[in-house]
Amino acid sequence: MKEIVTIQVGGFANYIGSHFWNFQDELLGLAADPYSDPVFTNHSLNMDVLYRTGETQQGAVTYSPRLVSVDFQVRHANAEGDFFTTDLGNYVEWSRSHASMSSSGMSYNKVASAPTDVVTWNGNVSTYAAEPRRRNLFLQRLHEEDQENWSQVNSINGGRNKPQGVIQDEDVIDFLENSVEYWTDFSKVQYHPQSLYELSGLWMDVQEFDSYGVGRDAFSWDSQGEEISERLRFFVEECDHIQGFQFIVDDSGGFSAVAAGFLEDIVDEYRNTPVLLYAVRDPGSHMIHKSRKQSISRNLHDAVSFSRLSSLSKLIVPVGLPSLSRSKASMFLGIEDAKPYHCSAVYAASLHSISLPFRMEALGPTADSCYISGAADINGVIQMLAGQSRKNWVAILDVAMPAPSLTGKQAEQSLLGNLQPLTPEIAEDMEDLQAVESMTIQGALGSGGHRAPVCEVKDTVHAAYENAITRPKFCSLSVALCPLPIPLPFPKIFSSIVGQHGELLGSPVSGSSLKGSLDVHSIPLASRLRSSNAILPFLENRLGNLQKFGTRQGAAGADLLRRWGFGKEELEEMGESISKMVMELDPNSQMSSESD
Amino acid sequence: MSLRVLNPNAEVLNKSAALHMNINAAKGLQDVLKTNLGPKGTIKMLVGGAGDIKLTKDGNTLLKEMGIERKNVKDEGTSKNLEWIEWKRIHQIQNPTAIMIARTAVAQDDISGDGTTSTVLFIGELMKQSERYIDEGMHPRVLVDGFEIAKKATLQFLERFKTPVVMGEEPDKEILKMVARTTLRTKLYEALADQLTDIVVNAVLCIRKPEESIDLFMVEIMHMRHKFDVDTRLVEGLVLDHGSRHPDMKRRAENSYILTCNVSLEYEKSEINSGFFYSNAEQREAMVAAERRQVDERVQKIIELKNKVCSGNDKNFVVINQKGIDPPSLDLLARAGIIALRRAKRRNMERLVLACGGEAVNSVDDLTPDCLGWAGLVYEHILGEEKYTFVENVKNPYSCTILIKGPNDHTIAQIKDAVRDGLRAVKNTIEDASVVLGAGAFEVAARQYLINEVKKTVKGRAQLGVEAFADALLVVPKTLAENSGLDTQDVIIALKGEHDQGNVVGLNQHTGEPIDPQMEGIFDNYSVKRQIINSGSQELRMVTFSATIIMAKLSGQCNQALIFPNLTCCRGNRLDLKIFSFSQMGWQCCAQSITFE
Repeated sequence: MKEIVTIQVGGFANYIGSHFWNFQDELLGLAADPYSDPVFTNHSLNMDVLYRTGETQQGAVTYSPRLVSVDFQVRHANAEGDFFTTDLGNYVEWSRSHASMSSSGMSYNKVASAPTDVVTWNGNVSTYAAEPRRRNLFLQRLHEEDQENWSQVNSINGGRNKPQGVIQDEDVIDFLENSVEYWTDFSKVQYHPQSLYELSGLWMDVQEFDSYGVGRDAFSWDSQGEEISERLRFFVEECDHIQGFQFIVDDSGGFSAVAAGFLEDIVDEYRNTPVLLYAVRDPGSHMIHKSRKQSISRNLHDAVSFSRLSSLSKLIVPVGLPSLSRSKASMFLGIEDAKPYHCSAVYAASLHSISLPFRMEALGPTADSCYISGAADINGVIQMLAGQSRKNWVAILDVAMPAPSLTGKQAEQSLLGNLQPLTPEIAEDMEDLQAVESMTIQGALGSGGHRAPVCEVKDTVHAAYENAITRPKFCSLSVALCPLPIPLPFPKIFSSIVGQHGELLGSPVSGSSLKGSLDVHSIPLASRLRSSNAILPFLENRLGNLQKFGTRQGAAGADLLRRWGFGKEELEEMGESISKMVMELDPNSQMSSESD
Repeated sequence: MSLRVLNPNAEVLNKSAALHMNINAAKGLQDVLKTNLGPKGTIKMLVGGAGDIKLTKDGNTLLKEMGIERKNVKDEGTSKNLEWIEWKRIHQIQNPTAIMIARTAVAQDDISGDGTTSTVLFIGELMKQSERYIDEGMHPRVLVDGFEIAKKATLQFLERFKTPVVMGEEPDKEILKMVARTTLRTKLYEALADQLTDIVVNAVLCIRKPEESIDLFMVEIMHMRHKFDVDTRLVEGLVLDHGSRHPDMKRRAENSYILTCNVSLEYEKSEINSGFFYSNAEQREAMVAAERRQVDERVQKIIELKNKVCSGNDKNFVVINQKGIDPPSLDLLARAGIIALRRAKRRNMERLVLACGGEAVNSVDDLTPDCLGWAGLVYEHILGEEKYTFVENVKNPYSCTILIKGPNDHTIAQIKDAVRDGLRAVKNTIEDASVVLGAGAFEVAARQYLINEVKKTVKGRAQLGVEAFADALLVVPKTLAENSGLDTQDVIIALKGEHDQGNVVGLNQHTGEPIDPQMEGIFDNYSVKRQIINSGSQELRMVTFSATIIMAKLSGQCNQALIFPNLTCCRGNRLDLKIFSFSQMGWQCCAQSITFE
């Protein structure tokens, strides 16, 4: 068993993380439930890779994600107005009054709820209590379940179908559909108190924290980062053999600079531990900017952010389409781009499936169990994708959600053909003989809607590759029998064509609306990391913008970059390193930083 | 108006509205922080919506807690609700000034470690005083000129007023204690403050090296949620927040050699030879075995050193490593009777060497007994899943640990804040080589000096500026009195009277009578006072000087920018003006001219 430590930095990264951990939590729940499907009870996935066992001071055993999450201090979303005009009485308005979760985590907090005396001061005490915010319907329900479990530990009830006192599943789901404002609103996971770190004292709101420069200005890693790296150290110290970091960053704004500081620290401290970096964005961050200035600033941010982050990781995967809802990836889904709750669910599902090989119990290089095949560790996957003769450490993420049945019409094409990119700005139909791919298929369905055995999946995929017109140079395949479980707080995004086990029904039920976790209990999923020259446009856009607005003589954004704290040489280095990446993929490329 | 063309998002307010807006923001902040001040102040307990508690009496912490949140309301651009838009305009623009003051005050804390509350109070009071004169028709510029004169004079007066402290080989411990006590008693109840006074003074004296500046990072601050606040203590040595990871390693060892190292003792796949592409299984096995052997060899070298120094005696051997140690290596070490800790904090490498002696090694190739440090006692303490390792009874430590204990997190956090302030106060005293009499004594004396001597030398209306500045200084004794439930006017009159008879007097917070702070041992930091006077009037210059303030969001270039158009001049389509933006470096002029688009 080799541990992974997960790091989530920034708003959308935490949205994705929240769904990601919900999947894990659901897996854990199903594995412990004697009435659930055997594919869940014997999934042969080692959850200890992502989770840690701990103990509270009262001696209770805990099992929580090995996670460091960094985000803004959560506040009352409706706090509009200025407390400075009045006095602290307004604390209600501006306090950290998000009831969903206090940063100290839940399970460790059970005892501390009793009213407290101030023991350090004899004089006056004034208390400013924020109005205790009502738990949202979903969290209230979780809380109730929790209470129940405490009072009657012995009663085992079938998970999903348990009769609920007052709050109905439907109500919860409708509530979440309409009112998720923050990623903790739909999280059912108990986090360790060391896991959630909130940035405070920036005196800035989320909208202003919108570029690398602002992030670098407002949060200096050298002076403020120590506590974050201490928290990471807490989780790493426990690991006997850490295999790597799974780092998710929302790089659409200032958090990119925070992450760069964090990564620098990681490279420094854990030199040989690989970082698999997902640079994620929600569709909202792709909006078109009104003024020229804004768009220059945005373009430069994208270039600088990519350059910094890619130089600090072993493999970077840009994730996040400008419009997920209209992309081919959501052929069987109904997404609303404006809802990060929706989009993040799709991205989280693919991240989950990419992470499966990392926690498969390796039985040896040749032996396969009937539940899994193709175990690999983070280092192995990174070396395979990035460390070949062609050095390309930017990978494309593809997904088929849900994955079509193996025996469907034109099965071969449909499985490969259904994998659609979640990485923006890439070329389609580029022929690349040197492409390398790492694919994970989980819970694939075979004939008659039954789950296809692992070997059948392998054979089918290999056959599909044999028959394909363009073939990658190399493809590694990992297969898990266990499908993706759909937890209750998963959004209602499946189109009516998707069945209870993620099978695609013959004819769409007309007039029916989107399906959520009550109708779809699990889905087969295929996802793929791909190192290919299809990423070229992505790289070229960044390089082009950096040169056009940044480094060229009299460039419009030169002042801006200076204010962000970048020197001329640093920028030229950035340009060179991106142009090297371009050259590596396209030797004929005319773009290079020497050209001007 | 041309500026609107320049940036349609710019918000423009007219002269008096802008000024009053600034003044109100400053007063608002002052009201929030006022009750914090002094040993009779009010502690604030902030209870979040999730029941999370924060306890603070520290202006700095409070301001940071109050980080501003404004939900973005998208401009619908409609004129449906003009009233609402008007309201929003005024309130949003109010923030930058408040933010500016808050940031200055917090920067004050970063520089000198204390004085946030006083800075905010002083700025607020200066604003109040200004308002009075400006309402009477005085031009802000003249007022500011007076402030400048008063500031200079006050700083000069501070030089005369301060009490020099001789810092020789052995600093005067009593005076250090008095300064530490003064600041701690404003944060914690007396008995605890007095207990911590000894702790922080001893901690600073422990890490102090002659001829070198004091690096407070060499005092580790560790906490345990355990027992009570009064169990907080100074550990001469180090407390680490982790333990050994092997069941057979001793939990307690006396007379130990300490090896501080930064050497990887875990098997890592090297980058070139890993991955999927071994030509055959034997090759792979051979690769793995070779790499494992390298790690084992490193472990063996450590064991050899241990055998060399520990054979034939009952001494122990402890390895504290910044890098990882994997289970096979732990096994080897445990069998050799060595206690090993992995993934130590980077900073602890330095602290360990200062506490135990020896040196931190980055390679096991040149290990000699000289590299080793020494500790009389090493033991582990376990609380739930949290492990602590104490490295104690060391010889001549230059690093130490303040171990804070408390029943819950918010108590611990508050003590921690106080300890930090206390440490800074002691460090400042040593570095300033002087202190300033507290309890409002300096402020009263400075005020009387300005009124009785400086004011006369100033010509014209600037006199009023000096007077306003002088009166603003009294905010400290006034607030102290107010927080003690005393009548501020009585107190000020008594203090002034006593002062004019030639005595240096501060305020007795219990009786309201004048006292001699020297007798009572109430001393403040010289550098903190200096900083307050300096930054206070500097801020004010920024705020009142501008007849019109325009807050502009310059397309993400600066977040809060203040433009001073009365420093502008127009040349063709070029507008020269000064834009100040706030960054890590403080307020800076970030642009001087802007060209119309």
